[in-house]
Amino acid sequence: MRKITLAVLSLLLLVAMGWADSSFSHQLSARLGPQQNNIVIGANQEPDQLNPWEGSADTKENVTALFNIGLTYFDNEGNLLPGLATEVPSTSNGRVRISGTVEAGNFRQEVDWTLRDNAKWSDGVDITTDDVLFTLEVQQHQLVPVSFRTFSNTIVEIKAKDKKNFTIAYNSPNLFFASPTGRVGLARFYDIAPKHVWEPIFRAAIAAAQAPGADAAAVIQAQFLGAAPGSGTNPNAVVGSGPYKFAEWQRGQFIRGTRRVDFFLAPPGPAQNYVQEVIVRFFVATETLQAAILSGELDASDDIGLAGVDPAVLRGQLGNTANVEVSPSGFIEQLHFSQYVSGRTYGGQAINLPVCQVADDLLLGDPRTRQAIIQAINRETLAPTVFAGAIVSNSFVVRGDVGFNTELNQYPYNLDAAKALLAQLGWTPGPNGVLQRKTADGRTVLFRLPHATTPAGFRVRTQEILQQDLVAVGIAYDPSNQPASVLFSNEFIYGSNCNWQGIIEFASAGGIGEVPADELSGELWADDPRSTAAFDNVGRPENAFAGGNVGGWANSEYDKLHFQALSEFDIDKRAAIIRQMQVIYNTELPSVPLYERVELITAKAGLVNYTKGSAVTRTPFWNAWEWGWTQNGAVQAR
Amino acid sequence: MFAYLVRRALQIIPTLFVISVVIYALLALKPGDPIDELRRGNPGFTAADYDRLIKLYGLDKPWYVRYWYWVGRAAQGDFGPSRRFGMPAAQYVFQYRLPNTLLLSGLSLLIAFVIAVPTGMLSALRQHSLFDYGVTFVNFIGVSIPIFWFGIMLMYIFSVQLRLLPAGSLQTPGIEGLWPIIVDRARHLILPVAALSSLQMASWTRFMRSSMLEIINLDYIRTARAKGLPERLVTVRHTMRNAILPIITLVALAIPTVMSGAVLTETVFNWPGMGRAIFDAIVVNDFNVAMVSLMFISLLVLLFNLLADIIYVIVDPRIRYD
Repeated sequence: MRKITLAVLSLLLLVAMGWADSSFSHQLSARLGPQQNNIVIGANQEPDQLNPWEGSADTKENVTALFNIGLTYFDNEGNLLPGLATEVPSTSNGRVRISGTVEAGNFRQEVDWTLRDNAKWSDGVDITTDDVLFTLEVQQHQLVPVSFRTFSNTIVEIKAKDKKNFTIAYNSPNLFFASPTGRVGLARFYDIAPKHVWEPIFRAAIAAAQAPGADAAAVIQAQFLGAAPGSGTNPNAVVGSGPYKFAEWQRGQFIRGTRRVDFFLAPPGPAQNYVQEVIVRFFVATETLQAAILSGELDASDDIGLAGVDPAVLRGQLGNTANVEVSPSGFIEQLHFSQYVSGRTYGGQAINLPVCQVADDLLLGDPRTRQAIIQAINRETLAPTVFAGAIVSNSFVVRGDVGFNTELNQYPYNLDAAKALLAQLGWTPGPNGVLQRKTADGRTVLFRLPHATTPAGFRVRTQEILQQDLVAVGIAYDPSNQPASVLFSNEFIYGSNCNWQGIIEFASAGGIGEVPADELSGELWADDPRSTAAFDNVGRPENAFAGGNVGGWANSEYDKLHFQALSEFDIDKRAAIIRQMQVIYNTELPSVPLYERVELITAKAGLVNYTKGSAVTRTPFWNAWEWGWTQNGAVQAR
Repeated sequence: MFAYLVRRALQIIPTLFVISVVIYALLALKPGDPIDELRRGNPGFTAADYDRLIKLYGLDKPWYVRYWYWVGRAAQGDFGPSRRFGMPAAQYVFQYRLPNTLLLSGLSLLIAFVIAVPTGMLSALRQHSLFDYGVTFVNFIGVSIPIFWFGIMLMYIFSVQLRLLPAGSLQTPGIEGLWPIIVDRARHLILPVAALSSLQMASWTRFMRSSMLEIINLDYIRTARAKGLPERLVTVRHTMRNAILPIITLVALAIPTVMSGAVLTETVFNWPGMGRAIFDAIVVNDFNVAMVSLMFISLLVLLFNLLADIIYVIVDPRIRYD
């Protein structure tokens, strides 16, 4: 016992001595900020790996922007600027040429790209068209588990004119050829991978995977995707095109990079005035991230980790030690209705999609039911209560997007209007005030509305408010929570399975600044008139649950406009089409748009150019080469 | 005794096999698969993409076919790659997660044991004293406070308000040199160890106290005193040695549980241990990581049960298995 006591006391003494060691205390504080001209950023999401071909794009977005840059990038106002490329291709500069038509089957879209002469990989090797061709070869290889090939599949030809110039030809319209969703067609936010690093690994892995008896998927995972340039186990193997050179990755803890002197984009003034080292620390819990910010351990925080935190409270806690920036996230929180009801039509024709009994009984297929529910919810109160800074939405497009329609019905909180609509549909007060009605087959059904979502704090608070609001119009509310992995699994998320039959809540992307049609209405369109398959986007067993339409809403007029927009290269005309689509959405309400989410970032006083001004910008890491401390001579870049 | 131990050791093999079938089946039957992760957030994902990937990962085969394939490889020491991290699942678990858990949980366990045993003893020896009431009061607080809340409070006081200790994480990035690294680790350990050990400490103190109280009034203790043994020897050699038996069982069974990590403590203090690894692997359908972690925990439970039986024999000569 005495020995153990001595051991514990020794340990405590050891710690106390370390504390008292002033040089060490200085070393700890000096890891932060202006003293060492570095920056320590707290982030919520850690990438799984750094290879450019696999993984959830969003978790990689921030960190990979340190080590890689695309052909183009969005600035703080949402303008598309040239990155690795010398200029952004457009029809006006002659770099985009369109001929033929989709209908005639001879459509061709050619895009010319020129790589910067001074664009180099972090190991000093030139970035060339060889890298582009190799990247596409990997992307298209049948053994590489790339998530999707929507755009790369439409590439019919890549011509490398020389080491710096290449042309990509598509056989169907690609509006997003220059933006982060559809350039060469790789996983998002990566354009080009270094051939000289990855090619030997790729060839060896493919040979091993194709050997008799080999488990191809396991070999590709272990020998290719998990190889050192992606896993970060050997810092020298990680080679990128971005402003920082990869230095160290302690999984679950932090990732570190050092400024590249040979990066082709420069901050204003001498580069040594700007941060020389970036450390991104990863935090799982918002509370811990917040504590680290308040304790002064972090110089800045990313745009995801503080979701739902009240900016006013945070400002009060931080005082004048740091700035709190609030910016639109580009995401709209929505309640999607199950539309799997009987008697449906599409373009005037009867259609045969699954029917879910509860959705059918509750008349969720009738727009009046959805209009009643949206007016029964006090969204003006709900939005700021559950998600500080959020604003009520009435569209599937976010405010500020060039295609946003300002003249939509606002659906203010109106209990009388909601009750009147429900009465029109035959609902009458029943036991305990819950609405009831007789069905055509003689059954009496009560209005019990099921609601499924994930157990995130702000969604649980939403459920509490919905419970109060809906009971006021006689709707009994039946909330349930599922872990995200279950809610978004194909067994659950698709309403065609009838595992959820009322409403399901999640957030959807609401704008990337170019009047998009594809990303935005991914949950809303049903049928692609250009394909022979029926209801391509409505996930059900017969199409292996493909497509983003989970509620099953199908509107032929909306679909027609959707595909018209996807083929319209004139941005003003495309914006007009998107505005028409919003009118249909706003009348039909296949989902109740609750609110537009906002994002918070914090930056210590003195840190400049760490900002994320718009939803289009997507990440505060877009201009990492311009981060700096005013104490060290850094200045505002824009 | 030896034959008994060999028989018990051999029983571990079929038990592990059954456990592996059950875990694999449960993971396979859980809604969702690895493709869901690739599909999420990719609006261009098509039916063809799904078909391609499901075949590539071998998920088009029934779970029992996949299980036989997995168990065949696992028997040769190959637990497959982590789909998320690319690297072998076993490497991820044993290189990146287990050492952190050993450090945090091992230290918590040690501190809880070192404090709980003497405190429980003293509390029993001074029953109904102010000290006893104080210990009982603190113990009830310890077992009642949610560890998540306690962790956040510790962080709020010591990190945010006093700025004495870091708010979570394993280390300060960029620290160099052996001495600074040791001290830095120690500073990062203080709060999570305090939070994690508090629960075990409170419960073991209660057990030790009640165990001591049971034994302290038995005849052989009275005899020991009657024959003139010094009180210290009576307490340490006769009372404590017998009272500690149930604590040994608790500790032996707690070790594998502690090795499996403490999800809440690891989450609050941003500690990359086994608990978060298992939780995340199940959530994102990284089956191989989940399998290797859960099988390791199962093996530990079986081994420590066996170890507890062996320790009984060493501590209590009356116990014989033959």
